[in-house]
Amino acid sequence: MQNRFELTQYRWVKKMLQWRGFQPVLMLFTLFFFVIAILTGFFGTPAGSHNFGIIFVWIVWWALLMIVMVPFFARLWCTICPIPAPGEWLQRRSLIRRRPGKLFTLRRRWPRKFRNIWMQNFGFLAVALFSTIILTRPSVSAWVLLGMILVAIILSILYENRIFCRYVCPVGGFIGLYSLTSTLELRVKDAQVCKDHKTKDCVTGNELGYGCPWLVFPGKLERNTYCGMCTACLTTCTQDNIAINLRPFGADLLVEKGRSLDEAFKALIMLACALLYSAVLLGPWGWVKDWANMDTLPHWAMYAVAFITINLLALPGIFWLTAAATRKLARLDIPLKKVFVDVAYSLVPMGLIGWIAFSFSFVFVNGSYALSVLSDPFGWGWDLFGTRSFPWTPVLPDMVSGLQILLLLAGLVYAIIIAYRIIRRRAATDNLAWRGTLPVAGFLSAVTFTFLRLYIG
Amino acid sequence: MKFLADRAEQRAIIALIFIVIGVPVIILGYQFGIRPRLNTIRTIDIVAAAPENGGFQPAAFEVNAGETIRLRVSSPDVVHGLAIGPGEGWDFGIVKPGEVKEIEITFPEAGRYTLYCNVWCSPSHWRMRAAIDVFGDALATTPDPIIERLTAQEINIDAPHPAENVPAEKPSVTRGKTLLAEVQSSLPPDVLSAEWRQSHSPAEARALLINLDDAEAWDVVAALWLGDADPVQLDESQVLYAKNCAACHGATGNGDGIGAATLIEQGYMGDGPAAFADPTTMLGASSDILYGKLRRGGMGTGMPGFGTVFTREQSAQMIDYLWTFVFSTE
Repeated sequence: MQNRFELTQYRWVKKMLQWRGFQPVLMLFTLFFFVIAILTGFFGTPAGSHNFGIIFVWIVWWALLMIVMVPFFARLWCTICPIPAPGEWLQRRSLIRRRPGKLFTLRRRWPRKFRNIWMQNFGFLAVALFSTIILTRPSVSAWVLLGMILVAIILSILYENRIFCRYVCPVGGFIGLYSLTSTLELRVKDAQVCKDHKTKDCVTGNELGYGCPWLVFPGKLERNTYCGMCTACLTTCTQDNIAINLRPFGADLLVEKGRSLDEAFKALIMLACALLYSAVLLGPWGWVKDWANMDTLPHWAMYAVAFITINLLALPGIFWLTAAATRKLARLDIPLKKVFVDVAYSLVPMGLIGWIAFSFSFVFVNGSYALSVLSDPFGWGWDLFGTRSFPWTPVLPDMVSGLQILLLLAGLVYAIIIAYRIIRRRAATDNLAWRGTLPVAGFLSAVTFTFLRLYIG
Repeated sequence: MKFLADRAEQRAIIALIFIVIGVPVIILGYQFGIRPRLNTIRTIDIVAAAPENGGFQPAAFEVNAGETIRLRVSSPDVVHGLAIGPGEGWDFGIVKPGEVKEIEITFPEAGRYTLYCNVWCSPSHWRMRAAIDVFGDALATTPDPIIERLTAQEINIDAPHPAENVPAEKPSVTRGKTLLAEVQSSLPPDVLSAEWRQSHSPAEARALLINLDDAEAWDVVAALWLGDADPVQLDESQVLYAKNCAACHGATGNGDGIGAATLIEQGYMGDGPAAFADPTTMLGASSDILYGKLRRGGMGTGMPGFGTVFTREQSAQMIDYLWTFVFSTE
């Protein structure tokens, strides 16, 4: 494959990833912090800035996820996420060992109409709608984390494999979409080998390990979206045909196979939420924050209506008009819905960059709280590592705006290039493709301008 | 390999049990079971929340005189100030949200003390108090003569006492002292009596000074009221005022502190907190009335009683300081 660097060519990397304990050990590691986050949520101080659950989940984890893991390591978080672990271990009745026989579930069939990411879209919207409350109140945060584990367990009892991760998890939806940009991938070395291989051990499992819990056939994997990077296929593949590769940023954005309306909406929802979060949490309108914080029920109801309208109607509506203009200017002879879905993938890098810029605004400013909560996770006056009294120290506060400007402008240029390349595949000529790119470029520029207004005034 | 795999499985299961059961048991067991027993001195955990969120929790606790205790105070919401009165000058500074402040303290004498917040923390800030009962050999307490006098005279300290005549400009203590030296012999004996001044208003004193023009008379009154005030004590009272009174009455005594508008809105304060800088409000009241109001608080208003927070001496000195809003000491 072009522009790929295979990491699994190194024997120790391959051995490590093939070890069945690789993922469970990492999950146990993160489960430990997860348990602490839940305990601090229920028993620790209600002051978010001194509660481990709030600081480590919504600042440290979130920043690591958006700034490091998703852009560079695809679904690495899904590899180590502890949420599906209890359910999966119950299904397998083991943590590391490969137990013979079928998975321990009721073996219901997941409804066909839900075999998409619409549930993840609405799940994320629901969490986002209450985010100002979830992100600041440790007990609410703990209930959300605990609730996700319980839902994952219930689904693992009803259905085989990781139905929760694949179709329900509100976080997994956007991680999958943004992983299209990622510089890491799991792919087969030679698709023909998989095609010729009769037993498809990577799907069915064998004595070496379980079949893909994400319901993916690696032989047809062309995008990162639904590969949970659990490396189960590396363990079970008897053909030595699975590779973990480094690759250029955004390599999957031009892959046409698998594009769908639910993913297009996910891109729009993520972009709208990044803008709305920036406006609510960082903007100068205190009353909006009050409304989002449920100062009164009528205020919150109006906020909720506006929030949902912007996410599901306003921004998609504007983008629909943008796609219509693109179709007309580029003289594309395909349905408008198809154009809408295609060009929506140019919003993926824009959205990711927007979220990274948003994350910069709080991780540099409030990241120092992590040191004090590490020593006193519950706010009980502990001092485990002698850092309890570490003062709130904003890091490079003068540089944050500059970094955000650079990022957003780079993201804008990159997204426009992606939009052009997507349209070029449909347009008859370069000239028509550039003309068709103009409306999308206008949309992306307006979004960038709005981000810049919110971040630097 | 199977053996290794099984060993790994066993270890993983042990790790899982440790994380899911062991970690919570260890943490909660330590915090609520072992930690209290490790304290060499008695530790009282106090949550300092804004009054709307419960105020000080617990709102009352008991200690023994001479016993050293540790107060471990945490705030779940906003910044609070921590002080204990009356007397001893215990001001422990602020506790920020989520922070834990540990204070070791020994109450030397039996009596009732008040743990109170001295930072404006909410519209109901003035409610934020906790009672500390200190047991031991209580010192004999004498009735407060000023309160007794007010009670005997059946003076309604909650009623306004406006001055009918007020000076055209702020009377000067310095000018008044110079003038006083010249005219002292011709002044009515009442105004020269400290006891009389304590129970009478400056306006009543002014009315007796019929041989002086208005400005001179008010300067003399200013000198009579504040001429003997100790500047050091005035400075100390200013600090206490800034911490405990300015939030409502305003730093300049104009009744426009940060909490004034909210208190009016909530119907606690009628027309608002008293404006000590307003001559009409102040000059018709006696030091006794102001003292009584400060010690007891306002009935049906947001004015809290400071009798459990300030000593009698501090209260009297605070009244002297209040006069500086209407009498210039420059």
